[in-house]
Amino acid sequence: VTAQIPQTAVGGSLLSNGLLVAIVVLLHIQIAAYLIGSTTLAAISEAVSMVRRHGDERHDRLAHGLVQSSAYVFGFGSAVAIFFVMLALLVYWGKFFVALQQITFPTFFLEAVAFAVEIALLYTLYANWQRLARYRRARLGLLILLNLTYWWQMFFIDVVASFMLTPNGGDVDILSQFLNPTQLPLTVHRTIGNVAWAGAVIAFAGAVRYLGVTRRLERAVRGDQPAPALAPHPPMAPSRMQSERPLPAFPAAPRTVGAMAATETATEPREAYEARYWDWVAQWGAVWAIGLTIFQPWVGYSYAKEIQLHAYPAWSLMMFGDLSNVFLLQIGLLGIIFTLGSVYFWRRMKASRASNYRRQGIIAVLLVVVTVWAVQPAWFAPTYADTLAAGLAKPWWEGGLLNPFGNFIPYKVGALTAMFLLGLWSLTSYMRAVSRDQVLPARTGRRSQWLLLGLGVSVSAMMMVMGVIREHARQPYLINGELTISNQQITNNQASPKGGSIR
Amino acid sequence: MIRSTLRFLMPKPNLKGRLRSAYSWFDERTGATELLHKGLYEAVPRRGGWAYTLGSATLALILLQLFSGIFLLLDYVPSVEEAWPSLHFLQTQDAFGAWVRGLHLWGAYTLILIIGLHGLRTFLSASYKRPRELNWVTGAILFLLVLGLAITGAMLPWDDAAYWTTTVVTNILHYFPVIGDGLRTLWRGGSFVGPITLTRTFAIHIWVLPFLLFSFIGVHLYLLRRHGEFGAWINYNTSSDDPEREIAERIRAVEPPYPTKRIEKRYAAPSETVNFFPDQLAKDTAVSVLLIAVIFVMGRLAGAPLDEAANPATLTYVPAPEWFYLPLDQFLVLTPQFPLIAVGIFVIVVAGGLAFTLLPFLDRSHERRPTRRPEVLVPALFMIFTVIFLAMLGVNRLYNL
Repeated sequence: VTAQIPQTAVGGSLLSNGLLVAIVVLLHIQIAAYLIGSTTLAAISEAVSMVRRHGDERHDRLAHGLVQSSAYVFGFGSAVAIFFVMLALLVYWGKFFVALQQITFPTFFLEAVAFAVEIALLYTLYANWQRLARYRRARLGLLILLNLTYWWQMFFIDVVASFMLTPNGGDVDILSQFLNPTQLPLTVHRTIGNVAWAGAVIAFAGAVRYLGVTRRLERAVRGDQPAPALAPHPPMAPSRMQSERPLPAFPAAPRTVGAMAATETATEPREAYEARYWDWVAQWGAVWAIGLTIFQPWVGYSYAKEIQLHAYPAWSLMMFGDLSNVFLLQIGLLGIIFTLGSVYFWRRMKASRASNYRRQGIIAVLLVVVTVWAVQPAWFAPTYADTLAAGLAKPWWEGGLLNPFGNFIPYKVGALTAMFLLGLWSLTSYMRAVSRDQVLPARTGRRSQWLLLGLGVSVSAMMMVMGVIREHARQPYLINGELTISNQQITNNQASPKGGSIR
Repeated sequence: MIRSTLRFLMPKPNLKGRLRSAYSWFDERTGATELLHKGLYEAVPRRGGWAYTLGSATLALILLQLFSGIFLLLDYVPSVEEAWPSLHFLQTQDAFGAWVRGLHLWGAYTLILIIGLHGLRTFLSASYKRPRELNWVTGAILFLLVLGLAITGAMLPWDDAAYWTTTVVTNILHYFPVIGDGLRTLWRGGSFVGPITLTRTFAIHIWVLPFLLFSFIGVHLYLLRRHGEFGAWINYNTSSDDPEREIAERIRAVEPPYPTKRIEKRYAAPSETVNFFPDQLAKDTAVSVLLIAVIFVMGRLAGAPLDEAANPATLTYVPAPEWFYLPLDQFLVLTPQFPLIAVGIFVIVVAGGLAFTLLPFLDRSHERRPTRRPEVLVPALFMIFTVIFLAMLGVNRLYNL
């Protein structure tokens, strides 16, 4: 490590290397996750539209919108990333950053290469989207290439992030660093999480736009102007709903987005069309957000298991120590996400009188019960250590403070299992109704959109809480067991079990 | 001169005629021609023919396993003292011995992969629905039997890997409530893994499971012929303005084994069919030959590993399951100990196995398109993801041991 780098950590305050770094890092993660997830969903929409015999105007428009939003966010996100590296890593933890660079140089190098490729691909797509409409396979190919580059970049940054928690013996060999124990679960966790997050952002944006459009329509109704698409449909018999498509999807459209305006005006007023479109966008995003979050309890549990096996102090801090209550907040947010999704599906199905809509209501109630079950503190004390010190680590019926349902593993695993099963049931039930054409567009009330706003905020909060837990679980280390935060001292001068150390 | 003399002494036999009369004699007694005709000239759906080759490929691979297994039996001795030396001899001294072991191992790997893909294809195309429920049930049982053959086969070499596989697998049984200990003792032939364990495992691998396997293959093929290949929903699309008339016309013109009985009219007969021979059989043969060629190459290049002879006292050997059991192994690693391990093993695994086997009775809707069956597709995707993810975690764990 060179002598020019400060040998001690720069003294900071809450506003400097405390809050500021946290804000920059969390912003960086949320933007990066959105970029990756939204590009994946754009490629999926583009592919769906291409596969359908007559195209799909909704997916065309959504794919274009996602590419545009990616381009806008990418510029700002890059600036945040560079600011993060320059400020947080070089200024505050220079020695750590240099040490990390020395160890994981190939990953940072590949990261930079991916960055350059992304700029070229994203700009090409953004600037030439409509020109490329005549070459849709090429456009889809470019989108997939952009996706692969994003995933590639995420894989390499996951190598660094997981190495910091489970360094696998320190600077041993490059393969051990790449394939350290938490690398795989973290990558899968983020792969799923990124798409779910993008889905939540899309649902949020769709809800906001739907609220705006319907407000204008309501004003139009108050002014005695007709609003055809929002006028209540006559009640339908279940058999009719199952056998017909009472409100057809968007008209078979020309394959270019530019032709959309003509299609709209030819069939229905602009505002009604917009309401149908944004309602569809909102539910499409919600399906991805909920659908992929279902995997997260299972993947997250596997991730925690690897941390338990390879970085026990960090795991103990998360599950039994100061972070245990923060972890409960995390589980609570997970339950809230599922519950909000289920209530949204319920209201949507109910508005269309879809069969079995009451089942969604029951699932939502069960989800609330399971969430309460999951988040109750295992020990009614600040930490497990406090409970032990007070001699109260025994069941409540013996006068102790142990949770009535037992130790951490049985009840929390049981609650999480129930949570993902209920989430799966809720999603499946909703998708079944959609596949039978029982859920009609633009029937959802304005209040239901607030559920999606809550969903977006909850997913964002969960990502933040997760970041806080992961970064604090290593304390007092920056690289677990190897390099401390305080004075950035390298503590592991001994050869590691695999024969290496951070030096 | 000599030639003309011989021709005079031995008049030219009418070989063709003699063979024909011999075949007539044989056919009169066995009905072989009719059987062949029935087997080869039945109609199958035209679209998606390459996807349907996986069933025939599975059968071809099972036969390859049978023949390579017979060759291994010529040398293998099922006793704890002789099992490893006999295979070591086969591997190092016998001509082609190592290759035959490689064939058996890579044949098993490929078989598991192909039977899994065959099941996936059947699931996606909803071919398991009425009246083909029992086709699926027998197929699912065949899949489980193949897995059973694979795991019992892995126990036979009696090297370190086989010994510890036997120890772990037979030990799993004791988590079964009430009768678990008894089941473990029954398989092991005592409290510990020993000579009787190997003998019993050998008997299961050589007699019990193959008997069941070939019995169920017979039933599976009979049911396939009875109801005909369903194929996929794309074979039943209509293109005219009058779908009902088109379907009625299709049913009237179709050849046996169609129209399928006890099914909605729409799915009674495919829109276009071809004869099994030569159209489909050519595709089946091509895929099977290709797979067998790959197995021959892999058997030669990679062979089959043989660790040191089993040493129950070793403290350094790290047992690792075969790749197809990695998901289950990792699931056990992740399942917390008492009281959840019994739930993990028996409630979740058994429930999963039952749901897989009894799928046709759980999915009662008439829908055939995957996008119209989210109630089974979404949970199935979750299951598939879980299995793949567990396998990846298993590899990750073994690498970072």
